[in-house]
Amino acid sequence: MRQSSQCAVVVVNVCLCFGTAVPNALADETCNSPYISNLIKGQEDFVHVWTLGVEGLGDGSDKLVTVDANPASKTYGRVVDSLSVGGRGEAHHMGFTDDRKFLWAGGLDDSKIHVFDVGTNPSKPKLIRTITDLPAKTKFVGPHTFYALPGRMLIGNLSNTADKGGVTGMALYNNKGTLVARYDMPSVSLGGVKGDGYGYDIAINPAKNVLLTSSFAGWQNYMRELGDLIKDAEAMKHFGNTMVVWNLKSMRPTQVLSVPGAPLEIRWSLAPGQNWAITAAALTAKLWLIKQAESGAWSAREVGTIGNPAQVPLPVDISITAAGKGLWVNTFMDGTTHYFDLTDPEHPKETYQRRIGTQVNMISQSWDGKRVYMTSSLLAHWDKKGADNEQFLRAFNWDGHALTPAFEVDFTKEKLGRPHHMKFTARANQSRTLAALAR
Amino acid sequence: MLRVSRRLAACLSILASAQAAVDVSPATAPRMEFTPLAPGTYQLQAIQSVEDATLLDERARAVRLSALTQGKITLLTFFYTYCVDPLGCPFAHQTLTLLRERILRDRELAREVRFVGISCDPGTDTPDVLARYAMDFTTDSRFEWRFLTARSVSALLPVLDDFGQDVSVDVDESGRATRALHHMLKVFLIDHRGRVREIYSLAYLQPQVMLNDIRTLYLERRSGLAGARTAARRAQ
Repeated sequence: MRQSSQCAVVVVNVCLCFGTAVPNALADETCNSPYISNLIKGQEDFVHVWTLGVEGLGDGSDKLVTVDANPASKTYGRVVDSLSVGGRGEAHHMGFTDDRKFLWAGGLDDSKIHVFDVGTNPSKPKLIRTITDLPAKTKFVGPHTFYALPGRMLIGNLSNTADKGGVTGMALYNNKGTLVARYDMPSVSLGGVKGDGYGYDIAINPAKNVLLTSSFAGWQNYMRELGDLIKDAEAMKHFGNTMVVWNLKSMRPTQVLSVPGAPLEIRWSLAPGQNWAITAAALTAKLWLIKQAESGAWSAREVGTIGNPAQVPLPVDISITAAGKGLWVNTFMDGTTHYFDLTDPEHPKETYQRRIGTQVNMISQSWDGKRVYMTSSLLAHWDKKGADNEQFLRAFNWDGHALTPAFEVDFTKEKLGRPHHMKFTARANQSRTLAALAR
Repeated sequence: MLRVSRRLAACLSILASAQAAVDVSPATAPRMEFTPLAPGTYQLQAIQSVEDATLLDERARAVRLSALTQGKITLLTFFYTYCVDPLGCPFAHQTLTLLRERILRDRELAREVRFVGISCDPGTDTPDVLARYAMDFTTDSRFEWRFLTARSVSALLPVLDDFGQDVSVDVDESGRATRALHHMLKVFLIDHRGRVREIYSLAYLQPQVMLNDIRTLYLERRSGLAGARTAARRAQ
C-alpha cells in the first residue's frame, strides 16, 4: 500500500486484501467497531459532524457537516460541505458500515436512520437512503449506537413505542437496510442482578465472543428540558443502572452487571492479553472497569472519580487511546476535558485537564492520539441556554502533556446547528472502485 | 470494462515487483479466547438472500450461481489468484482447507457442504488460470470445492454488489489501473435455501466456530426435513 503524497493516509492493512484482524482494531479512531476496515492510521482528511438542526438557524434541519481536517489542505479547518436531511429528528450518533463506505446516522426523536455514502467522495457525502421502519418493525425508538458487524449494522436503541420509557432493545439490519432481527434488553435476573431493560451503547470484543451494552434513559427523559427533569424526582429514577454481558454468537444475555448512574460509552482494551472494558457513569461521575475473572465470569467495579461528583459534572463521551493506556473524559456541565493515565486500569489517574468551553460533549482522537476533536452539544433540550450555549467543533493537537488549539468552527455563526457525533474519513487518491473503473 | 481487464492484464510485470514488496510472513490467526457454543444450541439469523447470476467455471462453462448457493451448505468467498496478503485470500483458503479436513471426518456432513470461490479479477483470472489455481484445492473428490470467474467485470459487479463486497484497484499517476486490488475479506455462510446466515471477516475466521455454525445449519435442515415428513404423514 502506497501513501498518498497529498493526504498521507495510511490505512490499517498494508497489504492487498483488507482483513479486520483484532490486532488492527486496537486503536480508538476512536470508537469504531473492530469489524471496520480501513482504519485511518495517519492524517485524517475530513471530520464529519452529525449536527442537530436549530429552528431559525440556517435551514433548521439536521445535517451532516463535513470539515476539512488536513493541515496541508487549502481549506483546512473550514466547512467544505453541509448536507441537510430535511427536518429535525434529534441527530445524535452515527457509525460506519464494515467497509467504511457508508455512514448510518440516527435521530433520537424521529427514529429515522439516514445512510450517507462517504466512500465515493468523502468531501461531498451523499444521502442514499433513509430507513423509517425501526419503530413499526421493532417497537423500539431512539436509535443511538450504530455498530458494524460483517455485512450488517447492530443498533442500540434508547426507548420504545409503547410508553417511550427506557425499556428498549437492539435492532439488527443488513447493509441493504432490511431488518434482520430484534433483541430485547433483559429485564430478568441474570447472575444475581435484575436487568432494567434499558439500553445505550454497544461494544464487542470478538476474541471473547462478548457483546457489552450499557443503559441510559427513554424518550420521555432525553427529550425533556434538563432543568425540569432534574427537579422531577420520579423522572430521575428512570435512568439505567445496569450493563449487560451478551454471548455474541447467540445474541443471548448471560450476565447483568450493576453499574449505577447511567453507564454510557463503553471502550474495550483489545490489546492482546487484556480482558477489560471501561465506562463512565454520567450521574455519579464514576469510572467503572468491566473485567473477566479466570472463571470466565464478568464483574463491574468502580475504579475512579471524574471531577467533583457533588457538583454533577456529567461525564459524557470518553475516548480510549490506541494502546489502551490513556482515556479522555469530557464533562459536559463544566465544559472540561480530563485525561486519565490508564496504565493500571484498576487505578486510573487523572494527569491533565483543560476547560474547552461553556459546555463540551463528544470527543474523538486520531489513531496516533496526536489530534483531538471536540463538539459541544449533548441533546437539544439538555444544552445550556443563552450565552452558555456555545456550539462548536474545536480541534486540538496533543503532545502527551497539553492540548494546543488547532482550529475551530463556530456552528452558530455558520448557521449550522448543534454539533454532536464525529467520524473521520480520508481521500482515496490512489484507488478506484472496480465499478468506477468499469465505467 | 474490457479495457480495464486489458489494463490489468498488461501489468503482469508490476505483479512481480508487488509480490516482492509484500510481507508474506505467516498469517496471524484470529484470537479465540472462549469456548464456542455447541451446534444446534443457537440460531443463525437469515441476513439476506443471494441473487442469481451467471458466472463461469474453470472449464469456461456458464454456471448459474444459484446452483452453487442452494441445495447444500455453502461457504463462499471472493478472492483473486495472485493475492499474497498473508491476512487475505491465502489466509481464507488456508482456513477453509483446515475446515475441510474437519468436515471430512463426518462423511454425511461432507456431502452436505461445499466451498465456492469467486474471483474478483475476471480479466486476469480466466478459466484457464482458475483451473491451475484450483488444482491445489480440488484434489479430494469427497468434497465439492468450486472456483468461478466472470465473463467481464460488468458481469461480476452485480454479484459483488449483492454480497456487499467492495473491491477497489490502485491506479497509477496517470489514473490507470494497476494490479493492486483491495477487498475486505469476507466468507459467507449460506444455507440450503440460498440465504446468507453468517459472514466471517478476519476476526471471525475461527475454524471451530465455523464448523459449529455449519453443523447448526445441518441440524436445522435435518430437523426441518423431519418436521416436513411428520407433517406429510399427518396430512395423509
